[in-house]
Amino acid sequence: MLLSQNALAIRPLNLYPVVFISLTFGILHALSDSPDESCISFNMTLRNFQSILSWELKNRSIVPTHYTLSYTVMSKPAGETVVEDCINITRSFCDLTDVWESMSETYLLTVVGFRGNTVLVSCWDKVFVALDMSLEPPEFEIVGFISHIDVIVKFPPVIPKMLVGKNLQTYLSLVIEEKSGSIVNLHRPKIDGNTTGNFTYVIDKLIPNTNYCVSVYFEPKNLGKIHRSPLKCTRLQPGQESESSESVKIGGIITLFLIAAVFISTIITLKRIGYICLRHDYPKVLNFYNLSAWVFPELPPLEAVAIVEVIHINRKKKVWDYEYGDESDSDNEAVPRASAGGYTMHGLTGLCPLASTSSASLENCGNPDAEEPDLPEPGVESEPLMTPGPGPCQSECTDGDYERRGNRLQDRFSEEDNSSTEGSEDRIVFNVDLNSVFVRVQDDDDAEVPPMLSCLPEEAVDLEDPNEMETSLLVASGEGTQPPFPNPSVECLWPEDAPSDESDTSESDVDIGDGYITR
Amino acid sequence: MTNRCILQMALLLCFCTVALSRNYNLLRSQLRSSNSACQNLLRQLNGTYCREDRMNFEVPEEIEQPQQLQKEDAVLVIYEMLRQTLGIFRRNFASTGWNETIVERLRAEVHLQMDRLETNVDEITEKENFTWENTPVPHVRKYYARIVQYLKAKKYSRCAWTTVQAEILRNFSFLTGLLDYLQN
Repeated sequence: MLLSQNALAIRPLNLYPVVFISLTFGILHALSDSPDESCISFNMTLRNFQSILSWELKNRSIVPTHYTLSYTVMSKPAGETVVEDCINITRSFCDLTDVWESMSETYLLTVVGFRGNTVLVSCWDKVFVALDMSLEPPEFEIVGFISHIDVIVKFPPVIPKMLVGKNLQTYLSLVIEEKSGSIVNLHRPKIDGNTTGNFTYVIDKLIPNTNYCVSVYFEPKNLGKIHRSPLKCTRLQPGQESESSESVKIGGIITLFLIAAVFISTIITLKRIGYICLRHDYPKVLNFYNLSAWVFPELPPLEAVAIVEVIHINRKKKVWDYEYGDESDSDNEAVPRASAGGYTMHGLTGLCPLASTSSASLENCGNPDAEEPDLPEPGVESEPLMTPGPGPCQSECTDGDYERRGNRLQDRFSEEDNSSTEGSEDRIVFNVDLNSVFVRVQDDDDAEVPPMLSCLPEEAVDLEDPNEMETSLLVASGEGTQPPFPNPSVECLWPEDAPSDESDTSESDVDIGDGYITR
Repeated sequence: MTNRCILQMALLLCFCTVALSRNYNLLRSQLRSSNSACQNLLRQLNGTYCREDRMNFEVPEEIEQPQQLQKEDAVLVIYEMLRQTLGIFRRNFASTGWNETIVERLRAEVHLQMDRLETNVDEITEKENFTWENTPVPHVRKYYARIVQYLKAKKYSRCAWTTVQAEILRNFSFLTGLLDYLQN
């Protein structure tokens, strides 16, 4: 009886080791019987930071009543290790959180299925944790505020061995996905091995009074499937009035700044392009400070104006003798001469005849037919000069008798050269601009210097220039026609009695001494 | 004149720092992606693991638990690991029955990672005081020499190759941790 009682007391104490040893030997025996690699599939999952290994037999007809799990590693020739918490378990999964220590290890797992004491199946497979572990999303909560959301991710108080230290941030990439309508933003908060408990991440700069949904997941390293958590949504509180008023103030300031910028840029632009001219020193006429002077402006003092009277003196012009026959030989002789009144007649000797030979000059003078009504008839020499309108300069240019008149002009200059007081043969041509209005103050001094105007060019006559040629030929035509009374209306051949103020009052304008006229 | 030179040098230094940091960030991202691809390719090489041919190749501490590793040392270690891995998978694996295409893709991916690291390695090794002895690279070379020696000893058998395959897969996982040292 006593023996039986001792046996009952000893039996529970010794039974467990016996069972464990027998199971171990059984597993080893099963392994020694070369377990089948292809009869089982393992699934490794990180669920709430716990490493859960589950398995499923491929042959569904075999249904063990309980399982025993053991493992070994590939990195060293170690023996099989039976997981104590996974001996004779009736479930088909096992928690290995505190068993495995490395994410970089290839584990060789063996599951032995029993029915009673009979081994039904022995299967094994390998698991590379870093790639084969499925990362389920962590638990989290969200708290919505006016413009931000606090996402509280729940980490375990103690990090598993496998993820402790640097492995947590190396192998777990936490991603917080924020959705608002169709807009999705990803946030990747940085976590380290010391991250435990509640990890709070703030999603800020959100729009108040808007609905936001948040999802959390771990990004897998093996480019595998992403396991997102269910969306948790919140509607942010509407913004307070203070914030709205502040935004209105900021908007107002920005608007004012923009308006000022536009105004200043407009002023600068208008000033640069000259539409406005900002001056500090105003002219006197714009000086309105002296209001009385502005209201009663002082009359400007009367200026003494010299009375200018235009006197038409019908003076019979000196008549030259025209002897065409003898003096036509001196074509090329250009002799400066002075008129009887002291005005110098520009020597055009040789110019017009040369120009007459230039067909280009004749062509440039225009259509002779069109100018025909204004042309002086050779037979009637005085009529064209008496008629206003186009002067003989133009008509002469287009005249068909141009050459003949040029010869006359040369002859006349040759004649006058003899009577000129200034005439000298070494001064053949000099240019005087007499195409100006000579106004003479009523004075008797000009009686000795009658203004004799001509349309002689100031510069040397360009033979190729029909305009100058016209001017030159005017003199010839006028001289040739021998008007009895030179008409002041004729623009080229000014009347001799045309009063000239400048010619009389200014001695410097007329220098008869050396034959040059200086103005 | 001196002030202008100092200013230009400072600006150049800032720009270089920013450019280098951006370069490392981009490099890290690229290597991470490529490293995951290598691991997946390696996993696709089927083969039955042989328990009896398991071997402890004694991974250097600089690879397995790099606690005090400088960024430059990490670059050199990563580059050396990739180079040695490429050399291993150029050896005879006819006994394994592996898919040649997968192995070729694996080699190409490893080579791509080496190309991305080439510039950084050159920058480090071209420094004046640089010597290989002061880096963890010699330890890494010895480690891979043991692997090659193992393959030779086992005459490139299928079981030996599966053991090496598991070891290389492990190394790629260590590389993932080493890549974290490339951040700024």
